[in-house]
Formats: sequence, structure tokens, C-alpha cells
Amino acid sequence: MSRTAHRLIGPEEPLWAPHHPEADPVSLHTLGFWLYMMSDALIFAALFAAYAVLDHPYNAAGGPQISDVVHPVAAFIQTVIIFTSVFAYSLAMVGLKAGNRAFVIGGLVAAVLLGAAFLGLELRDFAVLIAEGATPDRSGLLSVFFVLVATHGIHMVFGILWMLVMIVQVAMKGFTTAVVTRLLNLRIFWMFQASIWVCVFVFVYLNGAYR
Amino acid sequence: MLVHLQGAWNPWLGRLTLSQIPYHSPIVLGAFAFALLAAAPIVGLMTYYQKWGYLIREWITTLDHKKIGVMYIIIGLVMLLRGFIDGIMIRTQQLLADGPRSAAHLQAVHGYLPPFHFDQIYSSHGTIMIIFAVTVVLTGFQNIIVPLQIGARDMAFPYLNAVSLWLTAAGAALVMISLFIGDFSHAGWVGIVPLTELPYSPGVGVDYWDWALQLSSLGTTLGALNLITTIIMMRAPGMRWFRMPFFTWATLSTQTIGLTAFPVLGVALALLSCDRYLGTHFYTAGLGGNLMLYTDLFWIWGHPEVYFIILPAWGIMSEVIPTFSEKALFGYTVMVAATLSIAGLSWAVWLHHFFTMGAGPGVNLVFSVSTMLVGIPTGVKVFNWSLTLYRGRLRFETPMLWAIGALFLLLVGGLTGMMLAIPAINYTVHNSVFVVAHFHTMFLVSVFGIFAGLMYWFPKVFGFRLDERSGRRFFTFFSLGTVFVFAAMYTLGLMGMTRRLDYLYNPHWQALLIIQEFGIFLYCVSVFYFCKMIYVSIRDRAKEAHGQDVWRTSRTLEWMTLTPVPFYNFAVIPVVHGRDAWAMRRDSGLTATSPGDYEDINLPNNTIVPAMLGALAFGFGFGMVWRIWWLAGLSLLGIIGLVILRSFADDRGFTLTAATVRRMERNHEDTGIVTDHISPPVAELALFQ
Amino acid sequence: MSLHRADPLDHPDVRNASGIAFVAGYAASVGLMAIALMVTLRHEMSYVRFVIAVAILGGLALLAQAVLMFRLDLSGGQRWKTISLLLVVPLFVLSIGLTGWMFHTLYPRTMLDFMQVQGSGM
Ligand code: HEM
Ligand SMILES: [Cu+2]
Repeated sequence: MSRTAHRLIGPEEPLWAPHHPEADPVSLHTLGFWLYMMSDALIFAALFAAYAVLDHPYNAAGGPQISDVVHPVAAFIQTVIIFTSVFAYSLAMVGLKAGNRAFVIGGLVAAVLLGAAFLGLELRDFAVLIAEGATPDRSGLLSVFFVLVATHGIHMVFGILWMLVMIVQVAMKGFTTAVVTRLLNLRIFWMFQASIWVCVFVFVYLNGAYR
Repeated sequence: MLVHLQGAWNPWLGRLTLSQIPYHSPIVLGAFAFALLAAAPIVGLMTYYQKWGYLIREWITTLDHKKIGVMYIIIGLVMLLRGFIDGIMIRTQQLLADGPRSAAHLQAVHGYLPPFHFDQIYSSHGTIMIIFAVTVVLTGFQNIIVPLQIGARDMAFPYLNAVSLWLTAAGAALVMISLFIGDFSHAGWVGIVPLTELPYSPGVGVDYWDWALQLSSLGTTLGALNLITTIIMMRAPGMRWFRMPFFTWATLSTQTIGLTAFPVLGVALALLSCDRYLGTHFYTAGLGGNLMLYTDLFWIWGHPEVYFIILPAWGIMSEVIPTFSEKALFGYTVMVAATLSIAGLSWAVWLHHFFTMGAGPGVNLVFSVSTMLVGIPTGVKVFNWSLTLYRGRLRFETPMLWAIGALFLLLVGGLTGMMLAIPAINYTVHNSVFVVAHFHTMFLVSVFGIFAGLMYWFPKVFGFRLDERSGRRFFTFFSLGTVFVFAAMYTLGLMGMTRRLDYLYNPHWQALLIIQEFGIFLYCVSVFYFCKMIYVSIRDRAKEAHGQDVWRTSRTLEWMTLTPVPFYNFAVIPVVHGRDAWAMRRDSGLTATSPGDYEDINLPNNTIVPAMLGALAFGFGFGMVWRIWWLAGLSLLGIIGLVILRSFADDRGFTLTAATVRRMERNHEDTGIVTDHISPPVAELALFQ
Repeated sequence: MSLHRADPLDHPDVRNASGIAFVAGYAASVGLMAIALMVTLRHEMSYVRFVIAVAILGGLALLAQAVLMFRLDLSGGQRWKTISLLLVVPLFVLSIGLTGWMFHTLYPRTMLDFMQVQGSGM
């Protein structure tokens, strides 16, 4: 037998935890999803690192410089729109607290519309650039600009898709544990897009325009 | 936007044509025959004994963390064998192609492998060994053991766990299929730029490597968040942080790395894909690309990844050494601190893989010092294991042999790592086989750890011990092989042999190459004893069957459960009173597996969805590799659709009544992992009834 | 996952929704970004000062969002989210900062500078 470096268990100490409650599923899932968003955030860390490297006049390869492609005022309008979309989603969360389905669905619809508006502006911006010949394959600088902004955009697309699904689920199922958990996770996801956009706005659009 | 490709392309099959199947290469044909020979009896036996239903019901659809872990380990061991065969081929080519007078065989000018084929072999060797063998087996161990060690019935997200498994399997399948359809990357496991760029690698090899890595790294990330959440949220009552078994701590730091580092790999590869598919200029040699950006991103992931691989092995050593020293782990708290600080430091050393890039001296200095700092917690660990051994009552059973072997290798690998961490030395040996020998020694620590874990936990999971006699021979030959191959390789490195050579210009290296080949022969013998060990153990399984505590001196909670572990793990969740919970119970004479009255247990239903997601992911990867856009697009849509569809299903799970649990526990019914008919039902079957 | 009988709407993550906090978070984010925009359009600072200024403004906006929108704090339910975020932030700093630094020292030592002097964009 092994040497006892530890105390022995006394007869009065409980050995078993019968009917030990399972971990609360809402907390479990929101924590898991939050961790997923941490790893998602590192995708952006890597993209910003790439941006830091390729954001050198040399990387424009004689093509447009970053100050030629970013428009801070237009980007600010996008900023306000995405913040408002997140705000609408937050209001839906206030509705959720009150258990009010119509309120939640209304907030989600508003968030979807604003998110779509944001994407519309972004796509128009891209279309203009591409028409001017400032395409992603023009230079390393433009590659990283497009890919960084578009990665955020793709996140937005999935967020909108998810919101559409949730609108249906709230309407169909009401506030079951699973639905509420998903709404909370989607809240994390959607708010994150606003936070990432802060970084994009500041370090790509404003910083680029200042050059 | 899509780049214009040279060569044939059609909308149905993309770049796939009949000529892509390398039937003219005798070596590939041989591999194909080998695969057929290996697969045919398995398929035949499965059909003869009508085991396909069992396979689907009990394994493919399972959400049980132990079965998922076992499948991880099986995939990993198969890939280990494949990587090993690659290794034999590399060594043999270098032996045969030494010096201008070396003979030519098959289609080669020197040796028997033409350069392009040789390059593919070393690339797949590295990729497979690191990503699909060692990482996958270790993930399997963490899957099986962590929930048991913390007193949980399953992982936090059993469904996600299965998804991770099948994504990994999809990645592995892509690597395997590249052998028979098309070719594999020839640019090294690290993907040397700009060689991986389209103009220099116009074929599909790099794409195979890219998507295989991408899929498995997604699987790893999802697995990481699952294990972290499990450890934070699912611990049994009384299992406070500093009572957790050390392997669980090792898992926590490993998976922290997994969660944070793998996304960076994803980005490094995705930007490469942008270059290859969309014509962007991230890593190109002109038009504003920067090749070193790839190297930078790759190693931001790469260095944490090497710790992702070694930390769980250290965790296994920290379980095995105390058990066979019959003593508690020396300096538990310090060990925990060391493990966490290694995970942290691993994020600040990556430039040591490219000191020679030419960054300023300040940069090289900082990274040199930070690399050496890692040596401190590593050294602390070595001392702690040694002090655990010191005045312990040592028993050299096979798991212990592997653990001690790992300890010695760690010393060699760590010290050569320290040498490489000095930029002045690094400039002279960078890209030589000295580096190759360094990291092989390090990875072999993980491999030794894996075999220690295999011998140690196998009886827990399957209910019988592995044969000790052939196990010892396996260990002996494997260790001797290691000495012969890598002692010679270190020497060759210092003699100036650079890595990845398909032809060696210096005939004076011959002697050392022969020594290496002899080591390879010893490895082959060890593989024979491995197979014999498995065969003998299964044959004599009744004789080797054991109760809950196989080694009699193990300390952690997993040994409290029935052996083999029933699929619900614990009939009733135990209360934990201190560190080494099982040792405490055993020494207090409290060895019961449950209190005698039982409760209903709720478990998730089995489901086929994760396996379908894996299949679709494979379809997506395959479609992207061959640029079959409809296949890739439909697979992606399928994945999204399936995920949405499943979110509409209300799976209430499956309840095992207290009466059933009582019957199973009291009658010692066979609840083992390979038994049929006891697992939760497959959810989708309800659709057909 | 399964038979959890508690009402999910009583969960602290639902309860922590607060109209006031959300309005404040929204206003702070928009306001700070508006200031950053003004700073940019005015174009009065040196480049380094500008970067520091907008980085601080951006940081404040992120902080406001973390506290007021995500409602992160050290309470039982949110503790691990806050801790994991705090552990990830240094990784951002390390990976972006060290990368920037190494390439910054690389350029003067390689031919990029030389080519710029020559005026060759390619
Ligand atoms: C004491 C700790 C360690 C130190 C100081 C260290 C140091 C180094 C250095 C400086 C290099 C770069 C050599 C060169 O390319 O010039 C290197 C390469 C490498 N090390 Fe380590 N290392 C350590 C631990 C490990 C561990 C634990 C592993 C894996 C389990 C590992 C795996 C590798 C790999 C895979 C490479 C090179 C891969 C490649 O270039 O293909 N190292 N190490
Ligand atoms: Cu390293």
C-alpha cells in the first residue's frame, strides 16, 4: 500500500453526492460559447498582426495607398449603424428579461435590418473600390485590407442568419432553456462584432486616413 | 476574382482527371495494395459477424467521451503507423542516395525516390506525425481521462465532442486520400513560402495539406473549449482547484493553448488559400506580399503547438511516476505553476524558429532570453519528477519504463533546445538535422508519454492488462532504436548535414547513416512486439482481467470507477476530500464504487449528426482541393442546414432508471466499452419508427 | 441540455440585462468614436500622438462595451468570462506588438529601404 502523506477520511464525512445537480445548462453553454469567441477574437488578432506587417507604403506595390481607399466619415456611419444594431439586440434582451416575445422579436428584426444596412454599405464600398481598380489582388496592402474587413463582414452574415433562425424559434417555441441559451450566446456573438469593429474602425479607417 | 489556373478544369470534376491517379508509381501501387490487404479482412470480418449495425449504433453515433477518446486514439495510432512508414522511406532514401556514386533504383537518379516524391514523403511525415498522430492520440487520452478524474459523467458538450472527433477524422481522411488521388504537399510540414504559392506549386498537393490542417485545427479548437468548460464547470463536489489530479491541470493548460493558438494557424493557412484561390498577395514574392509574414503567423501557432503536444505527455508522466513510486507527486503546487507558466511563456518565444530572418539584434536577444526562460519551469518539472522517484518504492512495470524513458529524453531534448536558443549557435545549425534531432527527441517524449498512458490506462478502459512480456520488449527495442537513430542524427547535424535532402553529397556520412538505418530496423522490431502485445493481450484477456484499481497504488479518481468503466462513469457522483482522492479512499478502506442506493441517470441520446457533419466537411475539403465548386458549395450549405435543423430538434435525452443501474452494478453485468446494446439509443432512429 | 426545471428567464445572464446600462454603453461607444473621428478629421497631431490618442479612445470604447454591454464583472456567473478575456488580451498585445516590432527592425536591415530610396514600387 502507498505511504500515507494524506489524512484518512473520517466515518462522519459524506462520501457520495446523490442527486448531485447537473451543471446549470445556461451557464455551461454561455461559458463554452464565450470561450469560442475568445478563439474567434484571436483570428482577428492574427489578421491585425498581418495588417501591421502589410500596412507599409512599400506593400502598396505602387498601387493605391491605404489613405486612398478608406473614407473615415462613411466608416463612421457604418460604426453608428452597427452600434445601433447591437443596441437593438440589447433592448431585445431587456424584453427577454420581461418574458415578452413580441418585444424580443421586434428587437431582433431591428438588429437584422440594421446589420443588413451595415453590410449593404460595406458591399457598396467594396464595389466602388473594385470598379476603381483597387482590387484585393492589386497589392499585399489591399489584400489584407479586403480580407480583414470581409472577415468581419462574414461574421456579420452569420450573425444575421442566426438571428433569423432565432426569430423563428422564439415565435415557435417560446422561451425554452435551449432558446434562451441561444439568445444569450447570440448576444455575445453580436456584441463582439461591434467590439471588433471598433478595432477595425480605429486601426484601419482612422489610422489609414491619417497617413 | 478566382485565379486563372493552368491545365484542365471542368465544372463537374474540377481539376480531377483520371491521370491524377498515380497508378504508374510502383510505390503508390504498393501502398494501395497494403491498404487493401489491411482493410479487406476487417471489412470481411465485420460483415461476417454482422457488426456494421453495432459499429454505427455503438461507435459512429456515440457521444460517450470514452468511446470518442478511443476512436481518437485509434485514428492517431493508424496515422502513427503511416507516418512511421514515411519515416522508413525517408531514412532509406538518404542511406541509398549518399554520394555521387550511389546507385539508382526505380525512377530515381540516386536512391529510389525521385525528388518530388521524396519531398511529399517528408512533408506528409511531419504533418501526419505532429497533427494527426501525436496530437490526436493525446486528445484521445484527455477525452477519456479528464471527466473521470474530476468525477463527471461526461464532457460539458458531448455532442460538440463528437463533432470535433469527426472533423479531425475528415482531416485525416483528406491526408490519406491524397496518397491515391493526386499528390500531397512537397513544401514541408511547415509549408515553406513562397514554395507553397501557386506559381511554384501549381498542383493540388499544397491544397490537400492546407485543408487537412484547417479541418483538424477547427476540431482541435472546438475540443479545447469543451475540455476547458468541462474542467471549470463539471467538477465533483469537493474537487477544488488544488485537489485536481495533475493530468487535469496539464489538460487545462494544454487546451488553453489549443483554444488560443489554433485560430492563428487557421488565419495563416486561410491567407495562403486567399493567395492560391483568389490571387491576393499576402505571401507572394512580389506585388507587396511579405513571405516572412507567413513564417511569423505559422510559428505564433507553431511554438504553442509544440507545448500543446508535450504538456499532456508531462501530465501522463506525472500520473505514472507517483503511482509506481508509491508516493504523492513531489511539489504539486509548483508543478501546477510551472505548467501554467509554460503555457503562458510559449506565446512569447516563437521567433526562435527564425532567428536567421535578420530582425534586429534586440529582437533576437529578447526572444533568446524568453526561450531560455522556458527552461526554468521545465527544469523544475524534471527535478520534481526526480524527487518523486527519490526514496520511492519503485516498481518498473511497463508504464513506468516509458515514463522514465521520457524523462531522459526530455533532458536531451531540453538541453539541445537551450543550445538552439542561443542565436549565435542557431545561425550555424539552423536548418540542419541537428534541429531535426532536437525536435524529434522532444516529440519522442510525447510518444513515450503516449505509450506510458496506453499501458497505464488501457486496463481501466478495456478491463484487462496489456501483456507485460511483449510490452517490455516493445519498450526495449523502441528505446534502442531511438538511441541509434537520434544520436547519429545529432552528430550528422553538427557535421553540417542540412535537412530535407533527397540526395546527400558527402560520402563520409555513410557510416552514421547506416547506424540510423539500423535504428530504424530496431523500431521495426518494436512495432512487431507492439502488435504481438495487442494480440496476446486480447487472446488472454480473461486471464489478465482486473478489478477497479489495476495497479493497486494509483491515486486519482478514475481508478475508483468500475473496470471497465461503465458508460455512465459514476453510478453516484463521489465527494472528494482532498488531493489524490482515490488514494485517500483506499487508505481509509473505502473502496466501494457506489453507496448502494442508486438514482436515475440522464444521458444524451446518440446521434448520427456529428458523423454527417464530418462527412460533409470532408466533401467540402475535397471539393476545395480539386476546385469542384458545386461539391464544396453544397457541402457547406449542408453543414449550415444540418446545424440549423438540429437546433430545432428537442432532444430530451435518455434516462437510465435507478433500477437498471442497480441491476448493472449489483450483478456485475458486463458494462464494458465493447459490449453491445447498453448505450443510449440513436436519436435519429426515432424518425424511422 | 435536459431536464433542468428552473425557469431560464431567472438566470443571471438574463437578469443582468439593463436598459440604462445598454443606453449608457451605446452612448459611450458612439460618443468616443465620434471624438476619434473628429481627431482624425482635424489632423492636428503628430502621427504618433494621433495613434496613441485613437488607441486610448478605442480602448475606452471597448471597456465601456465590456462593462456596460457584455456586463462583465467578477460575480459567480461572469467570473470565468472576465478572467478568460483578461488572459486573452495579453495575447493580442504579444502577437500584434511583437510581430510589429520584429518587422519594424527587419526593414532597415533588408533591402526594402534601399528599394524605397530607388523609388521602385515593385
Ligand atoms: C526547453 C524547451 C525548448 C527549447 C529551448 C527549444 C528551442 C528550440 C529552438 C531554438 C528551435 C529552433 C531551431 C531552428 O530552427 O534553428 C526549436 C525548434 C523546434 N522545436 Fe524546440 N525547444 C524546446 C522545447 C520543445 C518542445 C517541448 C518541442 C515539442 C514537443 C519542441 C519542438 C520543436 C520543433 C518541432 C522545432 C522545429 C520545427 C521545424 O523547424 O520544423 N521544442 N526549438
Ligand atoms: Cu519553438
